[in-house]
Amino acid sequence: MQTIIRLEHIEKTYGEGDTIVHALQDVNLTVESGEYCAIMGPSGSGKSTAMNVIGCLDRPTSGSYYLDGLDVSQIADAELAHIRNRKLGFVFQQFHLLPQLTAMENVMLPMVYAGVSTSERKERAAEALTRVGLANRLNNKPTQLSGGQQQRVAIARAIVNRPVLLLADEPTGALDSHTTQEVLNIFGELNASGITVVMVTHEPEVARQTRRIVWFRDGQVMYDRLTPADMSQLVMASSVN
Amino acid sequence: MNIVESVNMAVKTLTANKLRSTLTMLGIIIGNASVIAMVGVGQGAQRYASEQFESLGPNVLFIIPGSEEANRSTIDIPRSLTLEDAEAIETQVPTVTAVAPQLQSQQPVTTGSKRSSILILGTTPAFTEVRDFDVERGRFFTELDVQRSNRVAALGSDTARKLFGDTNPIGQQIRVKNVSFEVIGVMEAKGAFLGNNQDDTVFIPLTTMSSRITGNQSPYGTEVTFISVSAKDEQTINAAQFQIANLLRLRHKVTNEDDFTIRNQKDALEIVGNVTGALTLMLAAIAGISLFVGGIGIMNIMLVSVRERTQEIGLRKAIGASQQDILTQFMIEAIILAAIGGVVGTAIGVGGVTLISAVTPLKAGVSPMAIVLAVGVSGGIGLFFGVFPARQAAKLDPIVALRSA
Repeated sequence: MQTIIRLEHIEKTYGEGDTIVHALQDVNLTVESGEYCAIMGPSGSGKSTAMNVIGCLDRPTSGSYYLDGLDVSQIADAELAHIRNRKLGFVFQQFHLLPQLTAMENVMLPMVYAGVSTSERKERAAEALTRVGLANRLNNKPTQLSGGQQQRVAIARAIVNRPVLLLADEPTGALDSHTTQEVLNIFGELNASGITVVMVTHEPEVARQTRRIVWFRDGQVMYDRLTPADMSQLVMASSVN
Repeated sequence: MNIVESVNMAVKTLTANKLRSTLTMLGIIIGNASVIAMVGVGQGAQRYASEQFESLGPNVLFIIPGSEEANRSTIDIPRSLTLEDAEAIETQVPTVTAVAPQLQSQQPVTTGSKRSSILILGTTPAFTEVRDFDVERGRFFTELDVQRSNRVAALGSDTARKLFGDTNPIGQQIRVKNVSFEVIGVMEAKGAFLGNNQDDTVFIPLTTMSSRITGNQSPYGTEVTFISVSAKDEQTINAAQFQIANLLRLRHKVTNEDDFTIRNQKDALEIVGNVTGALTLMLAAIAGISLFVGGIGIMNIMLVSVRERTQEIGLRKAIGASQQDILTQFMIEAIILAAIGGVVGTAIGVGGVTLISAVTPLKAGVSPMAIVLAVGVSGGIGLFFGVFPARQAAKLDPIVALRSA
C-alpha cells in the first residue's frame, strides 16, 4: 500500500517569547492510500492547524511532511499552489462556490489553473458532476441549488483534477441531517472507488461513518486509531468540559 | 492560466457587477473625454490662429510704433511712425518690394439714409500687393490719388453690401465723418483675420485720411498706425528687418531704446503659438487631473472588491491559483475597466471635438497621436492604480481568507 500522508515530528508555533503558542507539537501521522479518515478533537486541539498543514495551505515550523512521497514541508509558495492544484481536493463547510459561475464553471475552475484544454474541462466537469448526482444541474448557479446540492458541486470541484487526497473541513457543518447523509454517501462512494479521504469533523455520527478516527488533543495526536465507542465517550467527556 | 482565460474571467466578474463597473469607468470616461476635447480645442485654436497669420504670406513684416516693452505693457505709445518713414523704407531698403503704411480709425459712414460705424483704413496702393488683397470690381486708388489727397474710396465686400445692397456702388457717394467720397472699387471677400472682419472696411488714400478724417497728431510727419512691408522673399526677410531697423533708428535719432517694433510672421506665429500652447497645456492639465481622479476611483473600487472577494481569493488559492494568478486576475480587471473607460471616453471626446468644429470656426481636430496617448495613459492608469489592490489580493493568506465570513 502506498503512503499518501506522512507527518514526522511536525511542530507548528505562532508568535514568540512569552506569547508563543504551540499549535502542533511532535505530530506523527501516516495515512495510506485508500483510507477514509476522520480527524476529531476538542476545539483548540490543533486539528484545524493539522488540516492546513496537510492541505499545503500552511507550512510546519519544523518536521517533515511527505505528501504522496514528496517532501512538501519547506517548498516555495508557487510550488505549494501547484501541489494543491494537482494532488489535493478541498471541500469546505461553507462550500465556497463562486456565485457568478454556473455549477459547470465552478467545477472547471481547478482545471483552469491546471491548464487543461477547454473541451477536456467540459467533459471532465460534466463527468464529475454526474458522479455526485447533479447531471441535471450543470448550468445552475449556486443560488439556484440547495445546500446539499451546493456541497455536491464543491465535491465535484474537489475531485475533478483527480487528486491523490480529498480533504474535507467540516463538510457537513452547514447541512441538515438528511443532506448530511447524502453528502456522506458520496464521500463513501468516492472512497470505495479508491480515493483517499481525510475529513475534520466534530460530529460523532459523521465520524462513525469513516473507517478510521484520529483524535487530537493539545496539539498532539492522542489516539491514532480510535474505536467509535471510545470516540463517543471522548466526545461526551469533552462536551461536559 | 493563460491571458485569454484571465480576460474571460475578469469580464465575467465585471459584468456580474455592471452598475459598479460602469460607475468606476465613468471617472476614466470623463477624464479621457475632457483630455481629448480640451487638447482638440486647444490645437484647433492654435491651427486657426496659425492659418490666419500664414494667410498674410511669409514675407510680410509689420512695423508698429513703440518699443517692444511699451507694446507689451500697453502704456501710451508714441506717435512716432510716419508716412515719410514708409517712403524712406521703400526707397532706401533694397530688400523690400512693397511698403504699405496704414492709418486706421473707426468712423461713422453714411449713404442715403443708412449710417453705420465702419473701420476706415487710410493706406497707399501698395497695400493690395503687401496684403494680397485684390479688387473685385472697379479699381483701387492710385499714387496720384494719394498725392492729391483725392476723396475716393474702395469698399470691403461686406461694407458694399451693407451700404448699397445689390445696387452697384461704383460711382456712388458715401460720407465719412461728413466728408463725401466717391466709391471707385469693391474689394474681393477676404474673410476674418483673428476675429476682425477684414471685409467690413472702407479703404481711402492715406493722405486724405490724415488731412480730412483723423487730422495729423504726430510732430514728426504724417502719422500712420503701422506699416506693412513685403520683403523680396523668405531668405531676405531677416536682412530686410535688420535694414529697416537701422534706417528707422537713424531717422528717429534713436540713442538707446527703439521707439518702434518690427514683427515678422514668424514672431506673430510664435506669440500665438505660445499663448494657445499654454492654454492647451492648461486645459490638458485640468483634464489630466480628472483622469488621475478616475484612476484613484479604480483603485478605490478594486480595494473594496478585494475586501469583498476575500473568500473567493482564498478558494482560488486553495484550488491551485498561485500569487501570480491572483495578481494577474485583479490587474486585468483594473486594466479592462481603465481601457474600456479610455475607449468610451475617447469616443465621446472625439464626438465633442467634431461637434465643436462643426458649429464654431475652430477647426478642432483630434490627432491619432492624442487618441493613442489617451488610451495608452488610461491603460497605464489601470496598471498603476491596479497594482496595489492586486498585490493585496495576491498576498492574502488563504487560511485567513477562507475563514473570513
